[in-house]
Amino acid sequence: MDEGNSIIYGLEHQTRALSPQYGESDAIRFLIGTQSLKPQSNQVHVVELEEDTGALHTKVFKHDIGEIWHLRCSPHDVAMLMTTHNAYDPLTSQCTMGVTLFKLPTVDVIPKDLDDLSAIQSRNAEDMVQLKTITPEKPEEEVRCAEWHPVDSNRIGIVYEGCMRVHDVNNGEVLANVTPEGRARLKFTGGKWNPHQGHCQFALLQDMHLKCYDTRTDCAKPSWSIDNAHRQLVRDLDFNPNRQFHVATAGDDAALNIWDYRNGKEPIFSRTDHSHWVWTVRYNTYHEQLLLTGSSDARALLTAAASICQDTDGEGKKISQVLEDGVLQSYEQHEDSVYCAEWSAAEPWTFASLSHDARLVLARVPRHFKYKILL
Amino acid sequence: MADSKENGENPLDIDGSSFNPDTYLDCLLKHATLKQIMDKEAEVVTQSQFLQSEMQTLVYENYNKFISATETVRKMRTDFKIMQEEMNKLSENMNKITSFSSQISGSLKESGSNVSRLCGTRQLLDKLQFLFLLPSQLNKAILEGRYVDAVHDYTHAQRVLQKYGNQPSFQSIQTECSEIIYGLKKTLRDRLLSPETSASELAESVGLLRQLQETGSSLQDIFLSCSESRLDKHLQVLSAIVESTDILEWVEKCNNTLLADLGIIISCYHEMFQDNEQTNIPEFADKIMLQVFHLFEEVIKRPENIGTEILIRGLDKFFRKLQAMTEITSSDTMSSKAVDIVVLCINHKATIQYQLIQAQFKDSLMKVRQSLASKGTESTDLKDILNSLQVYLMQKVQASLLDLMAFLQNNLSFGLKPWCANAIAEACWTVISETMVNLSDMVKKMACLQTSNNNIPFELLLILAKLCLEMQENGVTTLHSHLLKLLEESAPGLTVENKDTNSVMVHLSTAAQAALDSEVKFIGQTAAQMLRVSVLARDWLRAPEPRGPRAVCRRVVETLASADSAASQLFPTSVKPSSDSSRRTIWSRAPSSFSPLNRIFSERIEVFSPAGADRAALSNGALKVALKALVECVRLRTFGRHGLQQLQVDVHFLQQRLSCMGNDERLLNALLEDALHSAQLRCIDPQLMEASIVDIICERG
Repeated sequence: MDEGNSIIYGLEHQTRALSPQYGESDAIRFLIGTQSLKPQSNQVHVVELEEDTGALHTKVFKHDIGEIWHLRCSPHDVAMLMTTHNAYDPLTSQCTMGVTLFKLPTVDVIPKDLDDLSAIQSRNAEDMVQLKTITPEKPEEEVRCAEWHPVDSNRIGIVYEGCMRVHDVNNGEVLANVTPEGRARLKFTGGKWNPHQGHCQFALLQDMHLKCYDTRTDCAKPSWSIDNAHRQLVRDLDFNPNRQFHVATAGDDAALNIWDYRNGKEPIFSRTDHSHWVWTVRYNTYHEQLLLTGSSDARALLTAAASICQDTDGEGKKISQVLEDGVLQSYEQHEDSVYCAEWSAAEPWTFASLSHDARLVLARVPRHFKYKILL
Repeated sequence: MADSKENGENPLDIDGSSFNPDTYLDCLLKHATLKQIMDKEAEVVTQSQFLQSEMQTLVYENYNKFISATETVRKMRTDFKIMQEEMNKLSENMNKITSFSSQISGSLKESGSNVSRLCGTRQLLDKLQFLFLLPSQLNKAILEGRYVDAVHDYTHAQRVLQKYGNQPSFQSIQTECSEIIYGLKKTLRDRLLSPETSASELAESVGLLRQLQETGSSLQDIFLSCSESRLDKHLQVLSAIVESTDILEWVEKCNNTLLADLGIIISCYHEMFQDNEQTNIPEFADKIMLQVFHLFEEVIKRPENIGTEILIRGLDKFFRKLQAMTEITSSDTMSSKAVDIVVLCINHKATIQYQLIQAQFKDSLMKVRQSLASKGTESTDLKDILNSLQVYLMQKVQASLLDLMAFLQNNLSFGLKPWCANAIAEACWTVISETMVNLSDMVKKMACLQTSNNNIPFELLLILAKLCLEMQENGVTTLHSHLLKLLEESAPGLTVENKDTNSVMVHLSTAAQAALDSEVKFIGQTAAQMLRVSVLARDWLRAPEPRGPRAVCRRVVETLASADSAASQLFPTSVKPSSDSSRRTIWSRAPSSFSPLNRIFSERIEVFSPAGADRAALSNGALKVALKALVECVRLRTFGRHGLQQLQVDVHFLQQRLSCMGNDERLLNALLEDALHSAQLRCIDPQLMEASIVDIICERG
């Protein structure tokens, strides 16, 4: 795995949901949700990479309430996770979506004894503790995704196709409601909490635009926005964890743009290295110049945006840039569209990418780039 | 006797000097007969008698002569005696004469020296009179304006005055004279400084001043500063009329006033200050000429002087004058500057030419754009438009090349110079390459614009791409060879190195590629947008039974077909794919079950990839973009049974209609299969329709 060899893990069903275990600081652990319309067939896979041996350990949990469109682990509790799911009800011949919080019975994946091992080898799916399900007001309303509040463990933000609401985890109560103004409402496609600005802003993706709302009140006007962030649909965004005004977006024009949202006219960094829609973009939590993107051209790209991440030293001089801007490495082990790519929460150099054909690829930043950044 | 004559010393020869009478007698007695002896004796007797008588007559004759000679000698002896006496007398007289003459000369000596002293005094007095009259003479001459005479007189007198200046009588004269001369100098200087004096007068004044022993360098300075102020005046006049006159008038004026004066000044300077090293004058001339050149550059840049004919004639006049000036000043910088100004002119002309071409081309492009926007796609012949644009561009460039060739006319002063021909060659190539680079930049800009907002008709992009390619393939080389031909005609024998056409080609080909890519993206995304909106908006779960392909599919096919037909006009494909396989119905590979293995055997499809420059590749590119979007959108939806069947009908319809476009049926089928397969996986009740029914529905629709 060190010398550019990636570890591949395959599942039985299509997949669209991937999340690192944010609360975990030691083990490299990712959770995957499957997407299958067959009843009682969906699962949540917990995948742990043993760093020393490079061995991959997995644990499977049942997710019988429907296919998983989105999955997020809690940053506050290692065992907590939240899925956005969809199920077909043959009686009403209708699909209903919802957000459900789960708690894993155990976070350990690596077997400690023979019993554990045999249990894992038999691949019998275990049960998770289902804590709370939040359903939309109108049953047919689509849920796009659900995001944990970065500091308040009792709040989650749920993006519906027409609005965004902040819910209380315990009773599902709506704490804030964001409904955009205007007659011809464009649907939301996703969103994320802003980790800066007092954790109260929620950024939403709406067609080609990025709009960020204050969640302390029910507001209709965004506090800031980037209109026409991409020439076509914006698919994903990620906030720079260290610089409070930088946000990265990815979209259907195959571009990766980075913005200083105080000036949303022109991106400060833009690259078009993919050959189809870019579905996901992630900043490395520790090294903000590293960005991970996944695209439906079946590639995950590791890109450096070093030129806009330069710091100045004490005398106001720019510290020399260690990496060239551009693609550092292309990961081509996928055969189908890559919808998810995530950095590990525990180890800054490891990341996972997940394609629609249920292939998880675990890889590491190439060693020479790592040394360049560190030394 | 005959024998005796055998040798010269014959003793027998009676007339010889060695005659021996005894031997002769012996010999005679021995050989001769008596009779012979008798005869001989008689003969000898007669002969001796004859000789005797002859001798006697001779003696008589000569005796008389001798007597007379003796008498003469006697007479001479007496005569000589008289002569001796006479001679003695003469010498006596001569002695007397010399003594007398020495006496006389001794007495005359004193008076002679007196006379000569008187003569000297008189000469001195003459000079003195001249000196005493000098001040009034000078005044008179100055009053009458004969400065030359005055200076001449003064310089004559000056030596004497200097010599005897300390004598009180002369002192007054000297001071008076120097006052007058001081006044003269002043008037001369005034004349120098006064603007009305002509250049020749100026030169005269300076010459006089120089004779009056003004120091050279200060005179030079005065001279130069005066000239400069005069020339400055000319310059001001010239710069004032830059705005109001055309180049011919201006050059005329410049030649007649400024350059003529400058020539006079420089030649005068050379005459007057020959001894001096020529340090000031080139500097001076350069300073003036620099300003002249600046003005001339301004004149060139005036818009009304753009016309080639007038520009060339003006330039020719100017250059001739400059060349003449160069001979006078013998300054290298000046001649090189003159060359520079011609080259500048040529380059300026070339710049104007290609800017003009660009502007005109832009205008014609704008017209094309409007006509494309107003007319329907079907009615316009893209090939015609392409041809007219191409011909237009080529003609413009060729015309401007021809125009530039006018600089090489034989009758021009610079027309036959190799540097001029080189500059022309360079300028022509600049026109060609700049036009091409401008074209590429414009196309690239348009391609860029296209992706951000779609005001530009895609046909125009196709035309421009084709135009760039045509230019790259033929245009540049045609123009290049045309240029070489023109140069060969205008300046035969000139060797022009072949220009680097590659960089221009690269520009053109990248521009063509950008335009094609942009066109493909535009068409593909238009279709993709239609498909995306239609797939996302529809309720596939509760869809009714399919009755035909959805309308959006027709629109997609229409969009792609119109782009395809436009492309086919400009980028014909020789090989058409056989259409029999298009009847094949797509069947899902593994119905209703998910297997990650499926994809391993299918090729990776690059969706947004560079488009090839032929019809099929262009259509392929657009198809890819559209259908990949369909796949991705289908995966976001959930299908009911009828929804799936509707999609099956759509996919079948698309496959039937699109297979005639592009040439990669595998690609088309792979993408459509992917779409149908994704729909199956997203279907709660995945049951496909019978192929025959699908066929019928498609036909009916």
